[in-house]
Amino acid sequence: MNLETKDLLMELSRIDAPSGFEKEAIDFIEKQVKDLADVVKKTRLGGLIAGVKGGGGLKIGIFAHVDEIGFVISKIEDESFARLETVGGVDPKVVLASEVKIYTRDGPTRGVVGLLAPHLQKPEDRKKVPMYDEIFVDLSVGSLVKSVRVGDRVVLRGDPIELNGKIVGKALDNRAGCTSLIKSMELLRKYRTLYDVYYIFSSQEEVGGPGAATVAYELNLDYAIVVDVTHADDAPPFYEKISLGGGPVIGFGPSVDKDFWKKIMDIAKRNGIKYQKEPLPGRSGTDTDEVQMTGIGVRTALISIPLKYMHTPVEVVDPFDVDETARLLTHIVVDLEV
Amino acid sequence: MYLKELSEIPGVSGDEDKVRNFIRERIESKLDEIRIDRMGNLIGIKKGKKSDGRLLLVAHMDEVGLMVTKINDDGTLSFAPVGGVDPRVLPGKKVRVGEDKLGIVGYKAIHLQKSEEIKKPPSYENLRIYMGFSSKKEAEEEVEIGTYVSFLTKYTEENGRATGKAFDDRGGCSILMDIIDLNERYDFDVYFAFVVQEEVGLRGSAILMEQLHPDVALVLETTTAGDNPEIPEYQWATHLGDGPVITFAHRGYVADKRVFQVLIETAVKHGIPFQMKRRTAGGTDAGRLARRGRGVPAGVISIPARYIHSPLSIMDLGDYRNTFELVKRVVEDGKIMEEVSG
Repeated sequence: MNLETKDLLMELSRIDAPSGFEKEAIDFIEKQVKDLADVVKKTRLGGLIAGVKGGGGLKIGIFAHVDEIGFVISKIEDESFARLETVGGVDPKVVLASEVKIYTRDGPTRGVVGLLAPHLQKPEDRKKVPMYDEIFVDLSVGSLVKSVRVGDRVVLRGDPIELNGKIVGKALDNRAGCTSLIKSMELLRKYRTLYDVYYIFSSQEEVGGPGAATVAYELNLDYAIVVDVTHADDAPPFYEKISLGGGPVIGFGPSVDKDFWKKIMDIAKRNGIKYQKEPLPGRSGTDTDEVQMTGIGVRTALISIPLKYMHTPVEVVDPFDVDETARLLTHIVVDLEV
Repeated sequence: MYLKELSEIPGVSGDEDKVRNFIRERIESKLDEIRIDRMGNLIGIKKGKKSDGRLLLVAHMDEVGLMVTKINDDGTLSFAPVGGVDPRVLPGKKVRVGEDKLGIVGYKAIHLQKSEEIKKPPSYENLRIYMGFSSKKEAEEEVEIGTYVSFLTKYTEENGRATGKAFDDRGGCSILMDIIDLNERYDFDVYFAFVVQEEVGLRGSAILMEQLHPDVALVLETTTAGDNPEIPEYQWATHLGDGPVITFAHRGYVADKRVFQVLIETAVKHGIPFQMKRRTAGGTDAGRLARRGRGVPAGVISIPARYIHSPLSIMDLGDYRNTFELVKRVVEDGKIMEEVSG
């Protein structure tokens, strides 16, 4: 039972899996890929590897992180209010007047991030953004209010929607990447590959964690392609703007292998895949940075899916970009000549 | 209680039609007369057995929201607030654009913000609604300048509390509808007015006096709680769970002493918990009514709610029930009419 790209994006967006808490997303993905792979196994750090056997030549890993940004309860006040600490970078400006879901030991419960009504605000309040030392969660709207403890995981709630063909939701960074991996596995069934290909759904990227690099080491990879998201329709003035719907974004810079990069560009051109280019003058801010310097070194590539409003509850992706990324990934592992 | 349905209907000031239709359909058969006036206020009349006086009960149908002011070249929409909406509650929210279209208020990714931008509050100048369009032309086919935009929040009840949008003042509307549902006939006439445009300056209620000439008016509101954790208790306006709120004074009007007293005595007599509104910020239609025509003695009873004027407010269901109980007793006892005629 293969889900359409759009539906897969929405299903994955609905799942709450902040860094270190990826199980539900991993279990869902395992169901989607178990019939598409020769070997499926969980990793030591909460990720998932789905291996497709090829001619037994080189080993290529394709990575997408499954974790999303979130929060942890840091303090409880007056029995029915709580304070938050972020897990990954969450802009304090996107959390006010939102509903949150808190995972307690007794089950999930609701909370509301409140804000004083304008009637009672002082003029100086309006000029500032409440930071996490002021932001609070009103727990009184959940039946498990008494079960909430410091350390419980929290996510902003928000069901995905479709807007003029685009998908909007939370956690599309990087469930969009996960979706393109699953779609690539479906496509790969039509081809034979010379290489052993490992699709890796990794943990803890949003905290700069060890989820991807440890798998790259364990599998002793020769090549790695990291699939993540990048900023669409909004760039610093001295950078070329990346467009939603413009196709996969192929990154280039020190964290990427120059020859592998050239080959990927050729493969994209030969197969009529529309792509965009992104310069990465320093660190890429993705798992690529760590994976490259694993073991004796791994030849890396970074392919990103354009995404608007990153790290907000209304991230936007175009399913076209996800499908084209899947197509590119499959062609890379089929067509790559080394 | 009609709070769930009422809360989920869009009805920004000036665009109250859907709310009015919903209420009208449900109250029509229970009243002697129903009319919609020139500004769009819905007025229902229950004649009295003696018809020896006129009590006016008022709640406003409109909610705060937004309006499209410009369609930009990139297909996004610029907008301005209708009523008091703090722009800080908007980034990251889904909104309803016009009748049934969806949009989102996005925000520049935190990674792309300079450090000084992180602490800078969003403003109407830089916020945009994104609907998935990539050009002005595409957007113009679907949206017009002047289109109303409302919050999009599902109503939920849990742990004795309700969450949703527009509780201010669908809470008051719901209580008025509950009173109509009692289907009682009193000695005096009761006028039920569901008014428009409260959030943009107490406007709809302004034309009630000339039409109805009430002897006394009682406004049913949903008012701000302000019992947030960082605020010291002495600064709270009201507190969730403490019962209906009775106002002694607010911007531009001191509640009529006799009406105010009757409300308190009724609560005490029937053992209904109540609280005073401890802040005088904000106004209600009582202020407008009192200064129209020859004026009218007016009072205000409110349901307290947290985080009003945002997409997600919280009401205590016990407060709702106790507010209904108090209004019901005030109307039943009829002492409010005796006080002002005496």
